[in-house]
Amino acid sequence: MIDDDETLLLLGAYLDGELSAGEVLAMERRLAAEPALRAAAERLRGLSADLRATPAPPPAPEALRGRVIHAIGFADPPPGGRSMSGSRPGLWRGPWGGSWGGLWRGSWRGSWQALAATLVLGLAGGATLGSGAFRVDRTGTAVEAVLAGHLRGLAAPQPFDVASSDRHVVKPWFNGRTTLAPDAPDLADQGFPLVGGRIDIVAGNPVPTLVYRKDRHVISVTVLPAAEGPGAGEERRDGTTIERWSLGDLTYWAVSDLNRRDLRAFVELFRSRTGRPG
Amino acid sequence: MTTLARARFSQLVLPRLDEGYRLAHWLTGNATDAEDVMQEACLRAYRAIEGFAEGNARAWFLTIVRNTGYSWLQRHRPRAVIFAEDLAPEARAALESGSALAEAPVTPEAALIARDDAGQLARAVEALPVAFRETLVLREYHGLSYREIAAVTGVPVGTVMSRLGRARQHLLIRLAGDGR
Repeated sequence: MIDDDETLLLLGAYLDGELSAGEVLAMERRLAAEPALRAAAERLRGLSADLRATPAPPPAPEALRGRVIHAIGFADPPPGGRSMSGSRPGLWRGPWGGSWGGLWRGSWRGSWQALAATLVLGLAGGATLGSGAFRVDRTGTAVEAVLAGHLRGLAAPQPFDVASSDRHVVKPWFNGRTTLAPDAPDLADQGFPLVGGRIDIVAGNPVPTLVYRKDRHVISVTVLPAAEGPGAGEERRDGTTIERWSLGDLTYWAVSDLNRRDLRAFVELFRSRTGRPG
Repeated sequence: MTTLARARFSQLVLPRLDEGYRLAHWLTGNATDAEDVMQEACLRAYRAIEGFAEGNARAWFLTIVRNTGYSWLQRHRPRAVIFAEDLAPEARAALESGSALAEAPVTPEAALIARDDAGQLARAVEALPVAFRETLVLREYHGLSYREIAAVTGVPVGTVMSRLGRARQHLLIRLAGDGR
């Protein structure tokens, strides 16, 4: 059993993807060598999974939303003093005194419609932007962006935002940061260890990038919604090779200064580990 | 109360009502109080919105909800809030080192029942002192990074890390009963 406090804190931070690259390496060496530490890691991982599986408190009730919108004054209260159910007027007697009471007693149906309109506009706007920008129809722009992401990664102190060789850490890390959830196969047995993940911006959208290593070389695998036009291909820019292939409705872009043959081997391996039968 | 402020409010705060409400729910422990906290938090957010520069809107709003929740607790349940700063040095050390959290380990039978009962875990989280509970909730349910949690709760990252560690060890001890 582990009762060294510092180790436990480091282990927690490791599982949360909060350690620096050097610390990750040290922790992974210790995990490999110490069964007790591995058991502690398993327990912590299990606890996190259990916690995340417990039902969250329910979402905000619609009535609350309505009251907030109303209080902020998205719409003028319609004439007539219908009282609303479930309201708790006391709370709102704040600095603006009586006016809140007035708003409060009014029906909030009007404001609700106003909000609905706002939301519809927002959604429509979002959808338009999304469909326009996300469909990377000019492959050239996407190449530039993917390459820029890779080079930025190389220029930064570390080429990833989350450091971990554990795909169960890297994959969930993308949750909430981007809408794409790529497979993150573990290729360490073939000499391509996963070292982390980062978010790149392509055509204004956050997209996931997996970061692998081969000896001293960094391989970035950026995942985009499938572009129109040719799904697969290879390009070279100033010593950097970009390999592109499609799987389902996603296009994977592997970028590296690795020699072509090794990158090709990496891509084959990656595809064989992610390709679903059929 | 400008149109701009309202537009920013609908852009920055309204999409985060559910998330704020869940945090308020964890802090106060029930739905009605969470609604009270959220109403107040939204007003505060609205008043502050013009002063909010570009940045992490999520952490900004959760900070407001959290602070509103704390002042609500102080007003209505002063005993629920123990600020580490208000404690005597030795009590503070005990809280930070976790001994204030220690409870008698449950029996193996109880532990088995606990495993089957998802509600047990939620209750164990609810029973944590508020400083530990909020840190754990922000990490596990809201998925915030340590740095974001530090910003929301106003403590150094190291404290976030140690609170998270204590809270998790405490839950493990309570649920498994086999010590660490």
